[in-house]
Amino acid sequence: MTRLVNFYTEREHYILGGGFILLLIIAWESVPHLVALPRALSLFFTTPSKVWETFYELLVRNEVQAHFYVSATEFLLGLGLAILFGLPLGLIMGRSSVMDAMFDPYVTALNATPRIVFLPLLILWLGLGIWSKVMIVFIGAVFPLLINTYEGVKNVDRVLVNVVRSFGANEWQVMKMVVLPNSLLYIVVGLRLAIGRAILGVVVGEFYGATKGLGAMMARAASAYQVDVVFVGVAIFMAVSLIFTLTVKKIESKLTRWRPEAVKSF
Amino acid sequence: MGAKRIYQEYQRPILGLVSVAGLFLAWELVLTYLVPLNPFFFTKPSLIATAFQEQVLGGRLWHDLIISSRAFLWGFSCAIAVGIPVGVLMGWRRRAEYTLDPFLTALYASPLVALAPLIIVVFGVGLLAKSVLVFLLAVFPFIFNAFAGVRSTDRLLINVVKSFGGKEKDLYFKVILPSTLPYIVAGTRIAIGRGLVGIIVGEFVAASEGIGFAISRFGDTYQLPEMFAAIFFLMITAIVLTEGMRKLEAALAPWRVGQEAR
Amino acid sequence: MVPYIQAKNLNLTFRPKNRDPVTALLGLDLEASQGEFLSLVGPSGCGKSTFLNVLLGLLKPDSGDIRLNGNRITGPGQERAMVFQEFGLLPWRTVQANVELGLELKGVAAATRRQRSAELITLVGLNGFEQHYPHELSGGMKQRVGLARALATDPDVLLMDEPFAALDAQTRDLMQMELLQIWDRAKKTVLFVTHSIEEAAYLSDRVVIMTARPARTKSTIKINLPRPRDYEMRLSAEFNDIKARIWETLKEELMTRSAGDGS
Repeated sequence: MTRLVNFYTEREHYILGGGFILLLIIAWESVPHLVALPRALSLFFTTPSKVWETFYELLVRNEVQAHFYVSATEFLLGLGLAILFGLPLGLIMGRSSVMDAMFDPYVTALNATPRIVFLPLLILWLGLGIWSKVMIVFIGAVFPLLINTYEGVKNVDRVLVNVVRSFGANEWQVMKMVVLPNSLLYIVVGLRLAIGRAILGVVVGEFYGATKGLGAMMARAASAYQVDVVFVGVAIFMAVSLIFTLTVKKIESKLTRWRPEAVKSF
Repeated sequence: MGAKRIYQEYQRPILGLVSVAGLFLAWELVLTYLVPLNPFFFTKPSLIATAFQEQVLGGRLWHDLIISSRAFLWGFSCAIAVGIPVGVLMGWRRRAEYTLDPFLTALYASPLVALAPLIIVVFGVGLLAKSVLVFLLAVFPFIFNAFAGVRSTDRLLINVVKSFGGKEKDLYFKVILPSTLPYIVAGTRIAIGRGLVGIIVGEFVAASEGIGFAISRFGDTYQLPEMFAAIFFLMITAIVLTEGMRKLEAALAPWRVGQEAR
Repeated sequence: MVPYIQAKNLNLTFRPKNRDPVTALLGLDLEASQGEFLSLVGPSGCGKSTFLNVLLGLLKPDSGDIRLNGNRITGPGQERAMVFQEFGLLPWRTVQANVELGLELKGVAAATRRQRSAELITLVGLNGFEQHYPHELSGGMKQRVGLARALATDPDVLLMDEPFAALDAQTRDLMQMELLQIWDRAKKTVLFVTHSIEEAAYLSDRVVIMTARPARTKSTIKINLPRPRDYEMRLSAEFNDIKARIWETLKEELMTRSAGDGS
C-alpha cells in the first residue's frame, strides 16, 4: 500500500495531467452511447474513433498527403523568409539608433494589428495559389523574430562588451562573442512565437482563399457538414504545432544551461 | 545650435515621423508621376484619405467597428471571467496545476483558429460564433498570466504580512493581487491581440457585417481605397488598445517595465 | 629615467546626450614603476575608474599623454589586463572558457590554451570547477575566475577596478591575501582602485589619493611596511598610523564633495 502511495506521489504530476486528458477523450467518445442526441445535433457530432477512421481513410486515399504537402510548403517558405528578413533587421535596429527610430513606427503599428487583415489584399495581388499564403505566413512570423532579436541585441551588457574589447576584440569578435550568444535565447523564443504565427497564417489563409491545403480541405468539409474531416485537420495542425513547440522548448532549455532562469515568455 | 539641440532631444520621434511621412509621400508620388495607377490593383494615399473620410466620417466603418466590438467584448469578458479564476486556482493549488497544465498548454500551443469552420457550423453565422472564437483565443493569456502572477508572489512578503497578523483576506488583497495584477495586465495585452485575430477570422470566414467583413468585401469588389481605409482604421484601433495597455502596465508596475512577457 | 607608467596632464570630459558634460579627468599626472603595487583611492565617482579605462585603452583622453614603458597607449593591448568590479564573466561560457577568452582573442592554439587555463585555474584554487557556469559560482569564486582570466595572457600590468567591492568581508580578506601571494610570485605591476583605505594600505607600495571630480592626484603616501605582509600586521600601531594619514588627506576631499553635492 505504501508503495502504491509512493508510486502515485512521485508521478502525481503525470498521472493527474495525463489522466485528465484521457478522461476528456473517454467522455467525448461515450457521449453518443450515454445520451440520444437529437437529430440536428448528431449532424455536427463526431467521436474520436470516427475521426481516427476518417483520418485513416483519407490517408489511404492519399488525400491528406497532398493537402499537407501544400500547407507545409507555404509554412516553410514563409517562415524561411521571415527568418531571412527578421534576424538581420532586428540586428540592425538593435545596433543603430537611427534605424531603430525609423523602423519603430512600422514595427509597432504592424505588430499591434492582426496581420491577417492583409489577407484579402494579398489574395488580390497574388491570387489563390501558394504565394498569397507564403506572404501571410511571412508577415505573421517576421515580427516576433525581429522584435526578439532586437531585444536580445539591445539587452547586451555593456560591461561584457568592454571586457571583450579590453582583450583586444574587434567589432566582429564582439558580435560573435557577446552580442550573438546574448541574443540567441531571445531569437529562439522568437522562433517559437513565429512558428505559432506561421501556422496561424497557413490555417486562416487557406480558409479564406485557397483551393489546396489542409485549411482549404477543412473549409470545404465544414460547408458539407463533414465534421470528422474538419477534426482531422484540427488534429494535424495541433500535432504539428505541439511537435514544433516542444522541440524549440528543448532547444531553449539547452541554451539556458548557463542561465539560472529562462526568459519568460507566455 | 537651437535646431541641433531640438533634434538631439527629439531624435526618435523626428526620425520616425520623417520615415513615415517619407514613405507615404513616395507612395503618392510614384503612383502619380512614375507608374500609371491601375485602380483594380493598387491605390495611393490621397485616394485612401478620401475613402477614409467617407467611410469613417460617413459612419459606415464606425457601424462595422461597433458590430465587431460587440462580439469582441462578449468573448473577452468571458475570457476574463473564466481565465483569471482558473489561473489563480492553478497558481494556488498544486494539484489543479498538475491536472490542467498539460491539457491547457497543448491547447495554447495549437492553432485554435483551426476550429473556426466547426464553430461556425455549430453556432451559425453571427455574434455567438464570433464571441466563442474570441473567447477561445483570448482565454489562455489570462489563465497563464494569472497563474504566473500568483506563482511569482514572493513567499517572504506573504510571511511578512502574516507576521504582522494578516488574515487570509489580507494576503489576497495586500500581496497576491498587487503582484498578480501586472501579469494580468500584460496578459490582457496579449489577449487583445489574439482576440482581434478571432474577430477578424470569424468575420472573414462567415459574417455579413463587421470590420473584418468590410475588409474582405472591399477586397472582393476591388474597392482598394476603401479596403485600405478599413485596414488603417482597424490598425489605429489596435494601436490605441495595445499601447494603452502598455501604458497601464507601466503605471501599475513601474518596477517591471522592460520585462517583456509576450 | 622614464617611469614605467606615465600619465601626463590627462584631460577627459564626457558629453552625454541630453545632459550637461562631466569633466572626469583634469590635468591628471601619475607615475608608477615596474613591479609596483599602486592603489588609487578617492571620493566615489571621482574618475578613478575612468583613469583605469584610459590606461586599459577603452577610453581616449581629450588631451594629455599616457605611456607604458615609453610607448603611447592608443588602444587595448595584451600587456595590460583588467579585473572588473562586477566580474564581467561571459555567462554563457564555462569557467575554463572564460579564463581562455584573452588567449582565444590572441589566436593561441586550443591545446596551449587548455594547458594555460588549467595552470591558472589551479593557481586561483578553482580545480574541479572548470566546467561550471558563472551563475553556479559564489562571488568570491567569480572574482577568482576574473583574476585568472586577466593573468592568462601574462600581462605586465594588472588593472583592478574595485575588484573585491562586491564580496563579503571575509571573502574579501581572503582574496586580498591570495592576491598578495600571486603578485609576489608573478611580479606584475598592479594598479588597484579601491574605496577601502584599509585595503589600499594593506596591499600597496604606494597609495595615490585623488581629488573629488574632476580627478587629479592630490598626494601620494608611501607604505613602508615589510613584505610579505600577513593579516596580523593590520593590528599594528604602524598600520593604523598609515590608515589615519590616508584618512586625513581623503577627508578634505570628501568634505569638498559633499559641499559640492549640497549646492
